[in-house]
Amino acid sequence: MHVKKLTVLALFTTLSLAVYAVESAIPPLVPIPGIKLGLANIITLILLQNASAKDALMVLAARILLSSLLFGNVLSLLYSLCGGGLSLLAMMLGTRLLHGRLGFLTGALGGLAHNTGQLLIALMVTSTPGITAYFPFLSLSGILTGLFTGLCGQFAGRYLLRGRHLFR
Amino acid sequence: MKTEQSNKKAAVIISLILSLLVLFSLVYLLLPGPGSSEAGRYTAEIYQGGRLLYSIPLNNISENRSIIIESPDGGKNEIELRPGSIGIVSADCPDKLCVRQGFISDARLPITCLPNRLVILLRPALNGAESDSITPDIVTY
Repeated sequence: MHVKKLTVLALFTTLSLAVYAVESAIPPLVPIPGIKLGLANIITLILLQNASAKDALMVLAARILLSSLLFGNVLSLLYSLCGGGLSLLAMMLGTRLLHGRLGFLTGALGGLAHNTGQLLIALMVTSTPGITAYFPFLSLSGILTGLFTGLCGQFAGRYLLRGRHLFR
Repeated sequence: MKTEQSNKKAAVIISLILSLLVLFSLVYLLLPGPGSSEAGRYTAEIYQGGRLLYSIPLNNISENRSIIIESPDGGKNEIELRPGSIGIVSADCPDKLCVRQGFISDARLPITCLPNRLVILLRPALNGAESDSITPDIVTY
């Protein structure tokens, strides 16, 4: 890997970690486990649309490992891996289908997939099928926050266009 | 031109799926739904790690009562039973989301304390003389 690219990806990892830290300092708006803005998703989306899926995966994996080491535990690592992984897959699909346009739709897909993944882990942890009752709430919040983070990614990406050579 | 068209088609399909999900979720959250009891009678079920610990008909509660649940790995939640509703009043989990979820009195959203693997959910009560298993198609208010 080029030193320049390595540096840029490290910079993006730092950025997403900082965004994640700021977000975890905001008290949850709705007292339902799993509902949050998912601001770190903006970084994943920017990388998917301006760099490549491989770069997005590397930054996401590094961010999840680091954030779990710094702020979380084994369980939060599991939640993040499943949520983040599914979200990345959904946004890869969205980016491919929409040719990198309409970032808010891709973001909404990512948010939905993220919350679905977290619900799956919660089902595993509690072994109580009854909590699937949260799905409507989680899908609604995932789509709405995803639309927002998607828009953010789209706007931020616009300013990055001139810097696309960064990722080469 | 072709990519332009497939782009549009994909956008329409994705938006359609997402809007349907949003619509379904709103309907579920705003309407009483199939899990609701017409008479407002519910049985509270308290699960820990998938094991049913308590099943308490909430309408038989005449005064507030509390139950303390301790999890095998040291977690502790204090549950309060009130006539017709149930909630967690104190817990030792880090985020206290379970306490902030307040008291529930219908089957729409369960209360969950993920760190202590505790779930409280309400089911329409089936025991008792007046309740029957016939569910009406339309509920009017």
